[in-house]
Order: sequence, then C-alpha cells, then structure tokens
Amino acid sequence: MIAFEHVGKRYGGRFDALANLDFRVRRGEMVFLTGHSGAGKSSLLRLLMRLERPSRGRILVAGHDIDRLHASQVPFYRRQIGVVFQDHQLLFDRSIYHNVALPLEIQGAEPREAARRVRAALDKVGLLHREKALPIELSGGEQQRVGIARAVVNKPALLLADEPTGNLDPQLSADIMALFEDFHRIGTTVMVASHDLALIARLRHRTLRLQEGRLVADEEAA
Amino acid sequence: MSRETPSRRGARAQRATAGGRWRSWLRHHRAMSLDSASRLLRHPVGSLLTMLAIAIALVLPAGLWLTLDGARLLDAELDESATLTVYLEKDVGADEAGRIEQALAAREGVASTRLITAAEGMAEFQQALGLEDALARLPGNPLPASVVIHPQDPAPAAVQGLADGLETVAGVEEVRLDLAWLERLRHLAELGRRVGLGLAVLFGLGVLLVVGNTIRLAVENRRQEIEVVTLIGATHAFVRRPFLYSGAWYGLGGGLLAWGLLTLGGDWLAAPIAALAASYGASFALPGLGLAGSAMLLGCSTLLGWLGAWIAVSRHLAQIRPR
Ligand SMILES: Nc1ncnc2c1ncn2[C@@H]1O[C@H](COP(=O)(O)OP(=O)(O)O)[C@@H](O)[C@H]1O
Ligand SMILES: [Mg+2]
Repeated sequence: MIAFEHVGKRYGGRFDALANLDFRVRRGEMVFLTGHSGAGKSSLLRLLMRLERPSRGRILVAGHDIDRLHASQVPFYRRQIGVVFQDHQLLFDRSIYHNVALPLEIQGAEPREAARRVRAALDKVGLLHREKALPIELSGGEQQRVGIARAVVNKPALLLADEPTGNLDPQLSADIMALFEDFHRIGTTVMVASHDLALIARLRHRTLRLQEGRLVADEEAA
Repeated sequence: MSRETPSRRGARAQRATAGGRWRSWLRHHRAMSLDSASRLLRHPVGSLLTMLAIAIALVLPAGLWLTLDGARLLDAELDESATLTVYLEKDVGADEAGRIEQALAAREGVASTRLITAAEGMAEFQQALGLEDALARLPGNPLPASVVIHPQDPAPAAVQGLADGLETVAGVEEVRLDLAWLERLRHLAELGRRVGLGLAVLFGLGVLLVVGNTIRLAVENRRQEIEVVTLIGATHAFVRRPFLYSGAWYGLGGGLLAWGLLTLGGDWLAAPIAALAASYGASFALPGLGLAGSAMLLGCSTLLGWLGAWIAVSRHLAQIRPR
C-alpha cells in the first residue's frame, strides 16, 4: 500500500528532517509511528498527504509515485486518504453534521446518500445524538471523535492520524485508539503517529520509530 | 493511488455517472450562490458600502457615455445643417441660374440643391434684417443669385473637397462653407469619447480593486476553512466558487445602485439641459439607459465583480498552504 524508497526531506536547504527512509506498509496493516518531538513524524505524514514533496527518493502509494501527480490530481488523491489531526481542524461555524459531511460535499455526493453516510460515521464514533451541536459545545475527546468521523466518512483506503490523542487523558486516548483498531479490522490501512509509548505497547501493532529523521526501529507486533 | 484506486470501496465512492457529476456540480453552484448571498446579507451595511463604492465608480463613465450618446444624436441633427452656399456671378440671369443649378445638382457628392434667385435673396435679407425701407430705396438689387447645396457626405473633409470642385464651375463666383464650429464640435465629441473610454478603463480597474480588496478580506477571514477543505481534497475551483459568487453579487448590487443613480441623475439634470440646448436652437436630451443599456451596465458590473474576486482569490490561494 505504501512504499518509501530512500526518502529524504530537507527543509530550507540545510536541515534534514527525514533521511533515507526505506520501508513498506502492506494493505490493511496498522502501523504506529513513534519518536520524540521533532523526530519527523508529522513531516512523514505530510509527505504522504502530499502537503510536502520529498527532497530525495520516491513515495509509492498503491503503486503510484505520488510525486508525479499533477497539481490538478492532488485533490483527488487526498480524497482517498482520511486524515485525523491533533487539533481536529474542525470548522467552528458549522454543526457537527456539516463538519462530517464536508468531504462528501467536496466530492459532490448526492445529499441523501451523504446524509446516510454522515449518520453512519457519527454513529460509529458514538456522537449521532450530537449532530446538531456546534464543535465548541463538545469536549476535547468528542471533538477528536468528530474529526475521526470526518476522516472516515468517505471510507478511505488509507487512514492517517497525527497525534490524535495528544491532548486527551489516558481513558479517552484508549477509546480513540480502539476506534482506529476497528477501522483496521474492516480492512483500512491505518498509520497513527503518537508518542504515547505506554498505550502503543499495549496495543501490539507494528511500530516504526523515528529519531532525528531516521528510522531506528521497525518492530512487528509481539 | 490515483483515480484507478486500490480501494474498491473508495472506487465506488468516486465513480459517478456524467449526469450525476453534472447534477452535483449544479447543486454546488446553487448552494454557493445562495450561501454567498446570505453572507452578504448578514453584513448589510458593509456590503452596501462596497456596492456603493462600485456604483460610484460605474456612474461616472456610464454617465459620460450617455452624454456622448446624446451628443451623437445631436451630431446627426447638425449634419443635416451642413450646407454649402454657391454664389453665382452677378451677371448671371434667372434662366442661366436655373441651368447652373441643374448642373450642380448632377455633380457627384451633391444630395440636393435649392436655387435662391437674386429677388428671393433680397426678400430673405430684408426679412432677416428688418431693413425693408432702407433697402427698398437702393437703385438695383446688389445681391447675386445663389444655390444652397446639401452634400451627401457631411464629413468636413468631404464637404471641403466638394467645395473646391464647385469653384471651377462656369458662372460660380464663390463657394462659402462654415465648417469651423462644426469641426470644433466634432473634435470635442471625439475628445469626450476618449476621455470616456479612459475613465471607463480607470474606473473599471477601480471596481476590480474595490471587489478584490473586499474579497481578499473575506478569504483571510475564512482562511482556516480554506486550509481544512484543501486538506481533505477540495479543488481550487471548489474553494474559489463561493468567493466568485460574492464578487458577482457585489458587482450586480453595485450595478443596480449605479442604475438607480443614473436614472435619478438623468431626471435631475433633464430640465437645465433642455433649457441650455433650446438656447442654442437645438433639441438635446440625455437619453435614458434603455433595456439594452441597462442589461449592459448590469452585465459589465457583474462581470467586473466576478473578475475582481477571481484575481483576489487566485492571488491569495497561492499563498495559503495548509499547515
Ligand atoms: N515547514 C518546515 N520548515 C522547516 N523545518 C521544519 C518544517 N516542518 C518541520 N520542520 C522541522 O523538521 C523536524 C521534524 O519536525 P516534525 O516532523 O514536526 O516532527 P514531529 O512531528 O515528530 O514532532 C523538526 O526539527 C522541525 O523543526
Ligand atoms: Mg508532529
């Protein structure tokens, strides 16, 4: 599903944020990305979303070199990736329902079909009863679940999450991770960046560890 | 993962019939035009001020254009009065004068002729000056016969050429034409046209700037939203659409206000203009915009608004990169 081939990313011409990354992720796999702050986790995910382009090497997603995508194709590429952000990136002037519906609106989905999928996604994260609320009325954990619902509403083949539990207490973090495991179980390829080592250790999935932009460990689930 | 996607589920979600795509495109246009209109209405004072600025920028060139349009009508009226007077030699008799008139009428470039015999000339002269008694005491008629000629082409150069040709006709003493003031008026009209065009271009740019600036602020206000939708796969066209509609609404609103101002202004100026024209013995009135003119004004203003928004959004989108 994902192949990094000797990928390097250099910011500002001097500083290597990522160096010589070489790994593969199989379809349907669930992978954790760890490393302390500044190790390059976000940079790696941004490369995958094609928000940045590699300075060296190639990134293949489903066999396609994503650096070769024309600018006009990039939106269509992104529609097939669900992304969960640490700070949710919700739109605060519209309801939970319309936040989750946003990807479908962008794709021009038929409204009745969209409504069905939005409700299904909200039901999955346990927030169906809050669909009319505004994001500001929700707790941090609930907002993050809305972010997840939005990421999965168009059933992406690949789900990326950048520190989705960063601001949450341990119990909420575990709940969120359990959601990602559910999507993994139905066949979605999932990649979660996190530095919550205790939680990751308990969940037993493949873990890529970055340190100063290098891949220092690639441990299969025990 | 391009469009021939690895995920069957994803593929099914992406695949849409041409009709479905067309419907969803229309749906988004409808939604965005209404959404941007309601955003404008949510800030009525600010929107109105922007539209008023647009209207003021439109009124001046449009008003000048109307004035010139009126001047063109006046021009046609003046063309009617572009005539040459051919004075025949003093010793040409009445029969001879008739023959000369026919010869002149047959010449190329002459539309019509009218013979004024010496006696008729004297009568007109007396009437015009009110000097009947004094002139009646003159021993003979000092005036020559003359032929008034309407040229086919009233353009100054053509009239001058015609006059030069008539000078050489046997029995013609002198050809008179008074083109100076006609020409002056034409130059003035031409000057007006150019000033009008220049103003239209300048004020059109002004409209672009007004709309561009307003839209730039709107884009800035919705920056986070733009970043988020870009992150989840919105195309530039999708992001631009609501702003283009806002720009078009601003333009249309400004155009309507300009239309109102022009109508009011026309009514307000009508009486003094008519009085002024009458004092020159001409009939001149500012023409109204009419249906075609109104459509043109609104069309241009809407297009300018749209274009201003397009420029502002495109310039700005290049700078907005999702974090
Ligand atoms: N846009 C950028 N320009 C310059 N340096 C950057 C940029 N983004 C990230 N970096 C640097 O790259 C390194 C890796 O950052 P990041 O990928 O955010 O790490 P992590 O997510 O693991 O904390 C950091 O040193 C960071 O300062
Ligand atoms: Mg990070």
